[in-house]
Amino acid sequence: MKKFKKALLLGTTGFILFIVFVVDIIRQSVDIEIGWIILLREILILAAFATLFIMLESTWKREQTPSKKLGFALVLSLVAATATAMMFIISPSGFEVKNEYLLPLGFDSVFWANLASIVLGVTMVLLVMILRDILFSKRRKGTKRNFIILIILIIVSSVTALFYRPMEYGTISTILTFITLAAMLWNSFRVSWIVYLTKREKILSIVYGFFLFLIFIGFDIVLARGQTVVGQSILFYSPPLQTFIKDVALFATIYFGMTFISTLFHLPTAEAFDRKISEVASLHNLSKLVTQVFDFNELVETVTAMTLQVCEAKSAWLEIIALHNSKKYMNNSAIHENDVAIAGLKNISQEETEIIMEAIRPSIRQSVLDHGKPIIIDSIGDDKRTQGIKMSVNKFSSMAIVPLVSHENVIGILYATKDVEYGFDKDDIDVISAFADQATVAIENSRLIEKSLERERLMREMMLAQEMQRKLLPQRIPELENIDLEALSTPAFEVGGDYYDFLMIDNEHLGILVGDVSGKGVSAAFYMAEMKGIFQSLSKIYTEPRKFLIEAQRALIETIDSRSFISVVYAVVNVKTGLMKVARAGHCPILHVSKSNAGYIKSIGLGLGMGSVEIFERTITQIEIQLESGDVAVFYTDGVTEARPDGVPEFGYERLQEVVVGVMQKSSMHIRDALITAVDSHMMHEPPEDDLTIVVLKWKK
Amino acid sequence: MSNFKVAIRENQKIQVVDLKGYLDAHTAPELEKLFQTLIDKKVFNIVVNCKDLNYISSAGLGVFMAYIEDVRKNNGDIKLSNMSSKIYNVFDLLGFPLLYDITSDEAEAIQKFCSIK
Repeated sequence: MKKFKKALLLGTTGFILFIVFVVDIIRQSVDIEIGWIILLREILILAAFATLFIMLESTWKREQTPSKKLGFALVLSLVAATATAMMFIISPSGFEVKNEYLLPLGFDSVFWANLASIVLGVTMVLLVMILRDILFSKRRKGTKRNFIILIILIIVSSVTALFYRPMEYGTISTILTFITLAAMLWNSFRVSWIVYLTKREKILSIVYGFFLFLIFIGFDIVLARGQTVVGQSILFYSPPLQTFIKDVALFATIYFGMTFISTLFHLPTAEAFDRKISEVASLHNLSKLVTQVFDFNELVETVTAMTLQVCEAKSAWLEIIALHNSKKYMNNSAIHENDVAIAGLKNISQEETEIIMEAIRPSIRQSVLDHGKPIIIDSIGDDKRTQGIKMSVNKFSSMAIVPLVSHENVIGILYATKDVEYGFDKDDIDVISAFADQATVAIENSRLIEKSLERERLMREMMLAQEMQRKLLPQRIPELENIDLEALSTPAFEVGGDYYDFLMIDNEHLGILVGDVSGKGVSAAFYMAEMKGIFQSLSKIYTEPRKFLIEAQRALIETIDSRSFISVVYAVVNVKTGLMKVARAGHCPILHVSKSNAGYIKSIGLGLGMGSVEIFERTITQIEIQLESGDVAVFYTDGVTEARPDGVPEFGYERLQEVVVGVMQKSSMHIRDALITAVDSHMMHEPPEDDLTIVVLKWKK
Repeated sequence: MSNFKVAIRENQKIQVVDLKGYLDAHTAPELEKLFQTLIDKKVFNIVVNCKDLNYISSAGLGVFMAYIEDVRKNNGDIKLSNMSSKIYNVFDLLGFPLLYDITSDEAEAIQKFCSIK
């Protein structure tokens, strides 16, 4: 549809212009002058250019840069200039001036007048559009208004031309010409877009501007009223069109001349302007980077790359002075010293940087480290401080050394070199310092992130250990005819050292193990896992508690750390007869409460992992107890007896006994809960400091 | 914060270590360091006076276990003395009296060292 519309508009234009041409031929052959035909002809020409303008406007690309538009204008003008030049070469018969009217001397004149007018007319319409885009590219208040005023003035001038004979000079048209000229000058000061061009674009603009200026001076001369065959042709074709073409050409001359001169004046500052632009862009990128970069190496690469870009330095690198254990950040860069790494090398090798840094270590580097102030070396060869740099690596002439300062500590140094002497000025240092500041923040951030990741990792590990520990504890309590069993274990910290377990050794014997691994955390969880393995495997082989503990000692002593131990109490209960065999390896003694008596089963025994197997075997004893109906046996860890808030005595053995004796008639669960309540109230509801484990066994038979 | 103190006295080529306050996971490294320096100085006859020791945790007990073997290999010993009954109960529970000489009095411990020689 759109294409069809364009084709229709273009067709209309062509058709109208063809009609005009036919009319001209008829006029030439028949020699009749009728006023309304002339007026109709002018209206047709206007309509043709109006449709052409609408067609062009719908396909117009506005987004191109001003310098590209200038290039397009140049190409266009060259085409038009070539067409004009061709007309001079062909040199048609020309015109005769008669009574301030132009009369063609032959059909060829009519043809060439049509052609030249169309070519130049189209050129000027396009040129108006180009000039509009260039003017609007750095648009300000009034830009559009001024341009519209100029266009209106040009159109008014053109229309005015209708009322004069082609070669006649009218007062009104002269006045209008001067007003239009003023508007042209006014508009031609809109050249601020030049400032924002890159250096390359400025150079292009100078070239384009210069040639355009020359070409349009040519057009101005050629189009001057009735002086040349081309001028006469267009004037013959349509005086308003001639005015329009002439005015646009004049404006183009002024504007392109202005462009040329302004760009010329802006050229010396082009480089500085380019740099400022790239500084701003780089700083903007860097500040974005600070919030985005999680990869330390990537960050360092960017910092040095931007340093190169902004100062146009030859090479750059970053020395990072690691704090504590931040060495691991330097995956891709070698460690230079114990605590120094070189990263983000640009156009320089690791060895070279090391030689350079070694050479300037005592003089410059130390001073930068001490004072945290940047240093510029204008000339490597002349400066005493850099005499140490060997000639073999002396491929550069000036150098900037800028520290990365964080909380008054120098955490790194940014180095940049240039081939020329006096390569770095104060502006460079300001910019590099700005980079260094941003890099500092980024490095700090990346270190903080690393730290928090590390902490998170540890947390996760702790969670895993906790989870593992939870799984090591029995998931359910054996349900037995004669025994009412209940258990509870609560770790004080994420991972505790308490452990309890049950196992039916055979149909008649229940093994109950309660223990406490010295220390806490992950290592305790590991020993606990080992203990569980030993219990699950050895308890079925060694059914006597004493024998089992000796074998457990034998298995553990090889693996356990010399300062760690596991205190364990182990009981094997005959679930049919109620005979309980007990052995104790350094653990809190079992509390046994019967109707007539209450007391602790204090057999002798070392903690597992203490002493040799031989001593352990020699000393450990086993006690047998016959449980009577209603008897209660309480296994526990020192979290119960040693529960102690600040400034208050421990919960203690007597208290434990008292509480259990008080509720011995009730169920195991009740006894367990009574104990927990008692400990909690003794702690005055403070959270416990130690793990707390309670296993209650009640003989029901 | 430091509610634990160690001090050493020399008594006829026998080092007496005085413990004071709480010996737990936080303070145990202090005692550990002291034992290490004594062993480095080839001092193997050590008496630990627990008169002012108020509390000992499993980590504290671990310190004694860590060095007893080293010391005994060099014909020395770590003897413990002057424990309060509460502290003794903790040592006793784990069976320490089976492995260590625990005397009621410092002089008695020193005497035991001398009588061996």
